[in-house]
Order: sequence, then structure tokens, then C-alpha cells
Amino acid sequence: MIKSKKTGLIFFPAFDWAITPTHPEREERLLYTRDQIFEEGIMDLPQIEEYKPPLANIHDIARLHFCVPTVEKQTTEAHLIAAGAAILLSDKIVSGEIKNGFALVRPPGHHAMKVVRGNRGFCNINNEAIMVDHLRSRHGKKKIAIIDTDVHHGDGTQDIFWHDPDVLFVSFHQDGRTLYPGTGYTYELGGPGAYARTINIPLQPGATDESFLYVMDNLILPILNDFKPDFIVNSAGQDNHYTDPLGSMRITAQGYARLTEKLRPDLAVLEGGYAIETALPYVNMAIILALAGLDYSGVREPDYWPGRFKERAGVAAGVERLVDELLQRWERRDRVSPDAKRISGNYYTRNKRIFYDTDYIEEDQIEQLRLCDNCPGYLVIDSDAKHGCGRSGRALCISVPHAACGRCRGEAAELYGRSRQDSQYDYIYLQDKHDDIFYGYSTDSDHEWSSEG
Amino acid sequence: MFVGIDVGGTYTDAVLLENEQVLATAKVPTRENLIDSLTEALDTIVRDEDKEKVKRIVFSTTIITNLIAERKYEDVDLLIIPGPGLSHDFYKKMPYAHIIPGAIDYRGREILSLNEQEIDTVLREIALKGSKKVGVVGKFSPRNASHENKVAEIIKNKYPQWQVELGAKIGNQLNFPRRMVTTYLTCATREPYHYFIESVRQALDSREIYAEVFILKADGGTVPLQRSEEFPVETIFSGPAASTLGVQALTGPDETAVVVDIGGTTTDLALILSGQPLLSARGARVMEQLTQVRTLAVKSVAIGGDSVLSCTGNDINIHSQRAGQAYCLGGPAPTPTDALRALGLTELGDGEKAIKAMALLGQELNITVEDIAEQVINKVVDNITSEIKKMFKEWEQEPAYRVWEILHKHVVKPTIVAGVGGGAAGFSARIAEKLGCRSATLRYASVANAIGAALARPTLQINLRADTEQGCYIIQEEGRREKISNRKFNENKALELAKNSLVKLASEYGLDLAADEIEVIRQEVFNMVRGWNTTGRLYDITVQTPRGINARIGVGE
Repeated sequence: MIKSKKTGLIFFPAFDWAITPTHPEREERLLYTRDQIFEEGIMDLPQIEEYKPPLANIHDIARLHFCVPTVEKQTTEAHLIAAGAAILLSDKIVSGEIKNGFALVRPPGHHAMKVVRGNRGFCNINNEAIMVDHLRSRHGKKKIAIIDTDVHHGDGTQDIFWHDPDVLFVSFHQDGRTLYPGTGYTYELGGPGAYARTINIPLQPGATDESFLYVMDNLILPILNDFKPDFIVNSAGQDNHYTDPLGSMRITAQGYARLTEKLRPDLAVLEGGYAIETALPYVNMAIILALAGLDYSGVREPDYWPGRFKERAGVAAGVERLVDELLQRWERRDRVSPDAKRISGNYYTRNKRIFYDTDYIEEDQIEQLRLCDNCPGYLVIDSDAKHGCGRSGRALCISVPHAACGRCRGEAAELYGRSRQDSQYDYIYLQDKHDDIFYGYSTDSDHEWSSEG
Repeated sequence: MFVGIDVGGTYTDAVLLENEQVLATAKVPTRENLIDSLTEALDTIVRDEDKEKVKRIVFSTTIITNLIAERKYEDVDLLIIPGPGLSHDFYKKMPYAHIIPGAIDYRGREILSLNEQEIDTVLREIALKGSKKVGVVGKFSPRNASHENKVAEIIKNKYPQWQVELGAKIGNQLNFPRRMVTTYLTCATREPYHYFIESVRQALDSREIYAEVFILKADGGTVPLQRSEEFPVETIFSGPAASTLGVQALTGPDETAVVVDIGGTTTDLALILSGQPLLSARGARVMEQLTQVRTLAVKSVAIGGDSVLSCTGNDINIHSQRAGQAYCLGGPAPTPTDALRALGLTELGDGEKAIKAMALLGQELNITVEDIAEQVINKVVDNITSEIKKMFKEWEQEPAYRVWEILHKHVVKPTIVAGVGGGAAGFSARIAEKLGCRSATLRYASVANAIGAALARPTLQINLRADTEQGCYIIQEEGRREKISNRKFNENKALELAKNSLVKLASEYGLDLAADEIEVIRQEVFNMVRGWNTTGRLYDITVQTPRGINARIGVGE
């Protein structure tokens, strides 16, 4: 097959969709980016192929998320289009029609977790994760790496792939003690069967391109070289930019372009970035050019000059220590035994409290992984949520992984059947990735629905 | 009475219309001198006693295409102001482009001022070469043309005899490279085009025809002869637009039609979706480069009635070149026209010769004349049909930037195939059959292009952008940045401004436009929020004159 030299681009600014009129995630967000890339004639370049996004279908979402009560209730068309864009580009990359791609879409998704009760961190559904599961179900891609370069910790993506040894999730972000969502520490390393397949790199506020690229060269590239992914995804948030109103980092458009050039992702998907005038037009343009292998040196912000941002000595030393520590953990990844306190019988348990900042929902989860010698084991999440004074229903979510063994699949199905008789749950879900089928059941209406791929 | 004339590459077609009736038609070979072809066609259809009754003449012309293809223009230089962004190496590949420092951003704010010394240096270089035609093109100049205006002023003072064209005026949409190309072509063609228009005027005067004269544009709109000098490039590719409007005039009002115009060596395809010709999502492509010229979506396929055929092994090859006329018309080689004639699907030429042509083609294959002719026709039909399907697919796949656009675009299927032009008759029925729709046999199919020209109307647009945070608005077609004085400026006021500008422009084009006829094709409001406060609004408004044709000529079939 002759590999295409083109970079696929889906630009979907959703000019008619906003969380609220003055919310950072509003219609205006990609307006100036549009102006910049249209005026530069980017879509006319022979290295660029522009596509129209389709809507993701309900099962694309249900294969990955547990939307309570249903996918339809948790998504708008804009969400389905953003996820559909990532899926379409991944298809084109696998088929060789394009060499790489950039889904320049909104709304974003990296704070959306496995269970979806509402909007958190501007996200409802996780575009990259949905695309990754599509790649595995439809194209048999096994090992996938997701590198999250948003200023906020990609806690949603981390949650989704926490127990998955075949998905490497690496997030660099501003230290969680100083920024939403307050997580993403170096000790968050993944579940018992997937140790160090989650890597977090919290950086001090004020870090510059130098630290960014140091982490890239000395940690991420060596890890990727060991992991050997079949497909690399970049969650390309742009709020590390020095003008971003939410983050406090000092990364430039040139820094983002160099990072992209080094990482060489198959697919980049836009995440956050709310300096809509001072950063996005330049950063997006720089990323597109870097993906397309074009000269990006002329892209610069009006108030930028080379050498404007110098790394403070303390920060640089801190980054070096951080990289050393994480490299050591990576080296030991297959020799670490799981935390015995969390294991009881055949189950590994963790409790989670999740706050949905946009929708003011508090969710309590008990997550249990069935430990199995023959496969990664299936996952059972008992989720309960409070919305203001009311409850929004207790749900039992059972997820069977792609590589599940026959016994685990049987057990999971049996648990689903048994739980349907159990009145303490309002909703019961079975997500079987091995057979690519999803069942949902509402106790209240005694109604079952399903979807399959 | 209306006159429509389509000056094509091979033939010039003309019609005389009155009260939706075709009074006279003409088809004459196109001469080297386009004026001769125009006048010859005109003399054929307009009798002396009717001269006074002709109210309107619309013609399409290949003058711009010819000027560009034959490079009949003087050297042009562009002064470009790209500022930061795409690497300047990209522009340095164009020998005529001179980069000068300066930059405007997407909201029309100056981010880097001009440097008069550098401008001076570049101007001296151009003067030394002896060029006298320059275009000045800035990135984001439609948002703020002050840099372009300033450079023009400097040139006017130093080199008053130079011809200067400004990008913001010529290419007012967002796309800097296309604006450069469009400005270059405008600069190159304006003077020779002016002489052409003068000759047309003289030729009509000498015949004592004093009708209003219009020229057809690539988007199927008309422009008064004199005004066409402002943007001569817009008159490129008006032939396919004429044919498409012709089919629109000869078919029902809501049809979704495929227009198939099979010529000697190329087939032009165009689409009419639910009664409206489809416009290209991109601008016209001239010499492999995209421009900002609005055009109908026309696809040219390198197959025609005179395409040379050959055989290798069991395969029939259709070549893109022409060796002369079809064999049955005395030409040297077998062609698709011969295949049609051999099967009796056309009356053209000599049947015996057509059979001989097919026999020659099939001699190595040892199959019957009918079989080989059938294979030729299938091959032509297959190729054209697959290009038609691609066009529909491309239309469906045009990028969209709003949720409702994605949700509301419905797949449409063609209901009729309308063949126009000499070679179409035998093929269009087969193409229709393959697409699962009807084949329209149009009366006057061979002069549909001239009918389209005669019935075309102006297509005028006004694009307004208002930025209340900066307190200014700009009507891109006029190029001036105006202050918003009214504190109560809102969406309705913005719309009113745009509509008033359009009515004014329309009257200059000889069109009496009522405000309620105006089509609003874009009306967007963006709240500008800085911090958590709304600091202003951006209004983007596009209004246009109603699309359509002046009349229909009885429906075909």
C-alpha cells in the first residue's frame, strides 16, 4: 500500500453550540482560529485534506461509557459530531488515506470518565477514548498510547484506561495542587494489571517550552520506544499557552509545534485552550503545520519573541528529578505487586468520589476489578450520585474487556442477570467489549435496551 | 426582446427571445477574433427591423480564458504583506511576489506597521525592471485595508502612471493565497479586457443596437458591460454557467438535474439541486490555482465526441486528445461519435463510414461491429456516470461548521439527466438509465447555453462584519471601515446596513431590488467574552439578490 503524504483535518468549531453564552466553552472559541487558518489558505495546501465530520452512533459511545441513564440523555448532537470526527480520521489513518490527522473540534472530552452522570470540566463524553475503543473493536489495533498535553490533568482518560495494560496514558499538566481537577500526581500509576501504563507529570506553574521539551525527549519518547504502540493519540489541549486565562504555564506556539514534531502522533484531538484570541489561532496553525511536515517557524504570537521565556533554575532541576523518578518506575513496571490492602478475595477495590463541576453532581463509586489469571478481568462499578438535594439513581456498571477470558465473560453475564432482580439499583448495564455488545436495564420501567457494533 | 450569446471554444450560439418564446437561433463557428463571432451571431438572429426592440443582450465570452492561456498580458508584480504565519518561502516561489513588512490580525488590528523605506526599495526594483502593473495584497486586508491603501498612495505619488490593484477590493473573502492569485489575474487582464469591451461597444454602435448589454459571470450572474471591467476575471468559465442556466430554464422549477455537456474533447458536468445551480464550495481554479472568483460547480472530464479511440489487448482506450472530426464525418480515427452512429443513436455523418471505423477498432478483437460500438458507449457512459456520482458525493461531503448544517443536509438524488451540446444526444439516455433517472429531451438543447445567457440575472452579494468591541463595521465589497456611532447598534441594525448597501449596489447594476426580495444567506452573532463579561459582539452578515432566472421556456420532454 502506498502511504499517503497528506494530513487529514476536521475543523468543527460548532458555531451554534455553547455550554452557556459566557462560558469558556462557547460559540466564539474557534472563531479566530477559523479566521487564521482560512486566511492562510491552509485547507488549500496540497499536504492537507479536509473532511466533514459524521455523527458517532450510539453504540460507539455505549461501547466505552456508561451514560446514566442513557447515551441520548447525556449527549447532544455536537458531542456526537466531535466524537465522530475523531473516529472518521482514525479510519482514514488506518486505511492509509492520510498519514496523520487533527480533529480540531469542540466540545472537548478528556475529563469524561467511564461513568457519565453529567458534564465535568466542560466534557460529557471522551472523544479520544471512544475513538481508541473503535480502533480496537473495528481495526484490531491492540496497543495504543495517549499523550495528553492539556494543562489540566486528563483524569477522565486516566479513569477509563486505569486497568488497561494495552493503553499507555501519559498526561503532562500543571500541578494538581494549583489547578482543576486537583489530581494527576506521580503516584497515580494505574491498576494492578496495568502498573505504570498511567504516567503523570505534574509541572510547576510557569514552566516553559524548555521543560516541556525536556520531558518529551527524556521521558515520553523513551517510554514510547519501549511500549511500541500501534497508534499514538495526542490529546492536544492548548491551555499551557502563556496567555491562557485558566492555566499558568508559559508554553508558546513554537513549543507546541516542536512537541508535535517530536511526538509524531497519528491523531491529535483538540482538548482545552481558552485564550481564544491570543493563543488558539497561532497554536492550532502551528500544530497543523507540524503534523503536515511544513515549516512552522513563521507562526508566532504578536507579543512573542525568541528567548522571551527563560526557565527558572529551580523548575528545571525539579523537572529533571521528576523525569528520573518516573523513568525508574517505568523500568520496574512489570515487577511491582499490587497493593494488598485493596485486594479482598478475587477482587481489587477502589473507592472514588467524583465531582461534576459544571453540573454540580457528586458521585460515589465503588470500583471492583475481578482478578483473573487468564485475562485482565472484568470491572464492576457501583455508582450512586446526588444532584443538589435529589438522587440521580444508583447504577451497576459491568465492563468486560476486549481480551476477557470465557469464564470472566460468563461471570459478568450472570452478574448482570442476577442484578436485574436486585431492587437497590435503578440501572444495570453490561458492556461486553469482547462481543461488542451493550445492554442497559431500567428497574423502574422494567425495560431493557441494547446496542451492538 | 432578449438576446443571449454564448461564445464557446468551437461554436458561438445565439438566441432571440420574446415572451418566453424562442424567435430565432444561430450557431456559427467561433473565429479567431471574438468580436467577429459575436457580430456574426447577432446579425444572424436580429433582423434590421427588430434592432430597436432588443432591450437586453447578455453574452458569455472566453476572452479571459484566452488571455490567460495565451499569456497575452504584460508583466505583473505583487507587493504582498504576509506578516507572521505560513513560511515566507511559500511566497518566494512566486517570482512576481515581493514581500514587504507589516501585519494586520484577524480582527483588523495592526500588529506590525509598514516600513516606507522597504516599500521604496521594492518599488525601485520593480521600476528598474520596467513593470507598470502592480497588485498590493495584505493578509487580513478584508478586515482592514489601511496597509494596502497606504502602499497604493505611496505608489500613486511616486509612479503615477502605474496601474495599481488592491487585494481587499478584488478578493474580499478570507483566503490570502487565493486573493493574491485573483489580484494578479485582475491586474494582468484589466487592460486587454478594456480594449475588448471597447470593441464590443463599437461593434454594437455601428449596428445601431442600443440595448443594455451584460456579460455573464462564472457564477451564472450578469454584470453590465462597463462594470465588468472592475472584476474582469469573474467572466471566466461563463460557458458552462450558460449551459446550466439554460437547462434550468428548460426544465421544471424544482428538478434535481445533471447537466451533461458533451463537446469535442471534454464533457462538462454541472448540477442543479432542487431547481438551483450548485455553486462551488471553493473558488474557480485558473491555471491550477484557486482564486476567489465565485463559480458554479463544474467538472470537466477529458472525454468527448471526437476523443480518439484505440485498442490494446481486450481494452478500449479513450484518449484525451482529438485528431480531427469523427471518422464518419471525414476524420482520421474512430471516435465515440462513430460508435453512436454505427448503432443508429445519432443522425450525424455517414453510417457506412461509422461502421468501418468500428470495424477498424475491433479488428484485433474478432467481435462484431455492434459489440465493439456497444463497448465504446458503455465505457464512455461508465466514466461519465462515475464522475457524476463523485460530484454528488463531494457535495455531500463539503465541510460544515455548524451542528444544524450537519444535521440538515439531506442526500439528494438526480431526477433527470439533461444533455446539451452536440455530442450529448446519444449518451444522455444511457447515462440517465445508469443513474436510475429520466433523460430529458430538451427542445433547443443545442442552444441551451445561449438561452441560459439570455435569461440570467445579476448575482450580487454584500458581506458585512461589525465588531462592537472595536466600535466599527466594514462592508467588504466597499472596503471602508466605518465607525459605529449608534450606541444601540444590534443585529437588526447590522442587517439593515447590509440590505441598504445591497439595494444601492443592485440599482447600479440595473436591478430594481425590493428589500423583501433580499436573501439572507448568513446571519451570525458571536458574543465576545473577556474574563466572564460580554465586552462586545461580532456580527457576520451576508445578503444577496434572489437567485434564479428571468423566465422559463416551456418545459422539455
